[in-house]
Amino acid sequence: MKKYDINNTDKETLGKWYYLMTLGRALDEKAPSYLLQSLGWSYHAPYAGHDGIQLAMGQIFHKGEDFFFPYYRDMLAVLSAGMTPEEIILNGISKATDLTSGGRHMSNHFSKMEWHIENVSSATGTHDLHAAGVARAMVYYNHKGIAMTSHGESATSEGYVYEAINGASNERLPVIFVIQDNGYGISVPKKDQTANRKVADNFSGFKNLKIIHCNGKDVFDSMNAMTEAREYAIEHRTPVIVQANCVRIGSHSNSDKHTLYRDENELAYVKAADPLYKFRRMLLRYKRFTEDELKEIEAKAKKDLSAANRKALAAPDPDPSTVSKYVLPDPYQPTKYPDGNPKQDGEKETMVTALNKTLKAEFRHNPNTFLWGQDIANKEKGGVFNISKGMQQEFGEKRVFNAPIAEDYIVGTANGMCRFDPKIHVVIEGAEFADYFWPAVEQYVECTHEYWRSNGQFTPNITLRLASGGYIGGGLYHSQTIEGALASLPGARIVYPSFADDAAGLLRTSIRSKGFTLFLEPKAQYNSIEAASFVPDDYEVAFGKAKIRRPGNDLSIITYGNTTHLCLNVAEQLSKEHGWNAEVIDLRSLIPLDKETIFASVKKTSKVLIVHEDKVFAGFGAEVASILGTEMFRYLDAPIRRVGALFTPVGFHPVLEKAILPGEEQIYKAAKDLLEY
Amino acid sequence: MKIGLFYATGTHKTASVARKIQQEFGENIADIIPIENASQKDFEAYSHIIAGSSTWFDGELPSYWDEILPELSTLDLSKKKVAIFGLGDQKGYPDNFADGIGILANEFLSRGAILTGETSPEGYTFNQSQALRNGKFLGLVLDIENQPKQTDERIKGWVKQLKEEFKENKTGPEDSFIC
Repeated sequence: MKKYDINNTDKETLGKWYYLMTLGRALDEKAPSYLLQSLGWSYHAPYAGHDGIQLAMGQIFHKGEDFFFPYYRDMLAVLSAGMTPEEIILNGISKATDLTSGGRHMSNHFSKMEWHIENVSSATGTHDLHAAGVARAMVYYNHKGIAMTSHGESATSEGYVYEAINGASNERLPVIFVIQDNGYGISVPKKDQTANRKVADNFSGFKNLKIIHCNGKDVFDSMNAMTEAREYAIEHRTPVIVQANCVRIGSHSNSDKHTLYRDENELAYVKAADPLYKFRRMLLRYKRFTEDELKEIEAKAKKDLSAANRKALAAPDPDPSTVSKYVLPDPYQPTKYPDGNPKQDGEKETMVTALNKTLKAEFRHNPNTFLWGQDIANKEKGGVFNISKGMQQEFGEKRVFNAPIAEDYIVGTANGMCRFDPKIHVVIEGAEFADYFWPAVEQYVECTHEYWRSNGQFTPNITLRLASGGYIGGGLYHSQTIEGALASLPGARIVYPSFADDAAGLLRTSIRSKGFTLFLEPKAQYNSIEAASFVPDDYEVAFGKAKIRRPGNDLSIITYGNTTHLCLNVAEQLSKEHGWNAEVIDLRSLIPLDKETIFASVKKTSKVLIVHEDKVFAGFGAEVASILGTEMFRYLDAPIRRVGALFTPVGFHPVLEKAILPGEEQIYKAAKDLLEY
Repeated sequence: MKIGLFYATGTHKTASVARKIQQEFGENIADIIPIENASQKDFEAYSHIIAGSSTWFDGELPSYWDEILPELSTLDLSKKKVAIFGLGDQKGYPDNFADGIGILANEFLSRGAILTGETSPEGYTFNQSQALRNGKFLGLVLDIENQPKQTDERIKGWVKQLKEEFKENKTGPEDSFIC
């Protein structure tokens, strides 16, 4: 016997459902009126036609146990989960008291982080990866609950949805993927998305995965399906897909006009399937409610909406002076080595050894640390460069493990896992090489957005390591250095050490810090003698502190990563040949940037050469040069020069690589030109 | 023999087919019962039932059938003969072609009905259908979208078949009526 049907469901429950559905629909229909009155809510995706499944999603959500990742059409789902109409309107009209983001995120993105109704991207389906990540934490910490994620059927065309379902199936994670199938992705019909009209069946070959089909327009079928899904996911510790067949009664959103691509017959057809009216008819037909009783509920919903509207309209607007808040959280503040220099000398370690030792030390220091990535732990192998060697043996496969070859999954599940508890800190190898990171850029963007978008409520504690750069004869796909491309995205710290000690010190600070850090490692230096240095066991380096690797008064050479070593060699050559003293500044941190150290050097030398491995055109040096041109022009006695790679990919043959990547010859020539200027 | 012809009178295609079926049976043989307002008593009143339904979306019963099913939870259809017709679209919905027939068939069978009016799937092209069981359609399948010219002929043949099957004494004395 089904748990819920029109005859056996108690009247109080039916009344509550009808109230929520009526209130939700009234709100859904009222939303566009705010835009007409220029009060906001410029993006609204109506949910009408999804009523059954959305009511059910909210009803089976267990506050305190579950995590819910709603998409932009889930208005009734969050209302059913307990959010108030006032909270929904505050988001819709982007007030300062909007729970999602204080007006920062788009309207129709409802969340209540306090209850773990999560704040998600507009790129729907990306939150499936977060659901898988938080479910991984639930399993690790023996937490009873589920992660529920929701979106339309078109999102299943996205690779990250596939990655999430595959990963959840492989790891046996209690995730409920709710696919609200209304037949359209904006104006794109299902036939243009996938060959299988029942899109969930595309995943029918996955192991450890239950697929439930239900009528998302029917309250009882949806309630039974979602109840079964939650119980099954917890009992069997497996993911469940619930495909709910819905209709979209309205347009995709208020920027869409569905009459341009749907005929009258279709519009009449979907209206005839209106779930709210069906539910109402059934309440009357089966004599569970009288007409008067239903009208009373409708009147109450109307009154409650009106009161919520009044309150929300009176709420304050966001303060534009706060826009710079919550870009990055405060990092861990190192205290042991305030000047960023090891206090003593000793035996030198390579960068690989320094990174490996620091990871192990930090994992001993904090039991809530995790590491995963591609190829990072299989018996004696600990990463292609041995950075994670021995870690799985020491910390176990629940804390240190291989990820599938799916970069977005690696980053997205890190983001998700961090949502479970802020005490969690995750280190990921985002890709085997930086060159392979591009598929994960979507999740990189999400990581950079979280803190700002949630108005400071959430930030993922992630150290994203990438073996970067060339000078190894690696060609186009093993030589890329991607800091220039990523530095334009606010919300990530970017560090790029050149020496073993800084690599260790910055890694420790990254792992201990709140927030998201991109940790770029010049792989050509992993085992180089030049980059080896003495590394104290407790060494730590603050973010945003450049290091003067060689002091000088005649020229400021600003660099980082692989080219630091080239610049030091050139500075030595300039000194020996001409007696010039070039100051070599190793930035170490690109974001935050140590303008203080740079400016002090420029005031002293009045000449600047910026050197990096990345392309000159639009490379990070362009930003440094621009800052100096704007803020330090009066101190400059010569044009700022930049040396970097040509605006080409990196060639494989050694003579091609040499012709493309910056070498000592080019650096020397540019430095000499400046010094003679 | 009393035949109750149950379908949604507010529809266009299904209603049009139902009226043709009624005409084929001849005057005063089959009563039309609008499913929108039907009750359990209506089903109990007929020894022979013909039910018509289209298939909505990706294989669902239309709301008007969906809404009455809970009411029929205690309905006893044993000794009653039930025949089903339905509409489908082979090209537009080849993966759930005329599923409504199969869903309704399950509902009626679970209430003890004797299903009659099976037809051959020859002449139809589709991928999957809940209406198909053991190589036969569980009722009359019509595709007005893609095979409109065959509709009348199919109806005639089916009604002729039903007249015979309704006469057959499969279940005892109550089925010995002559139409």
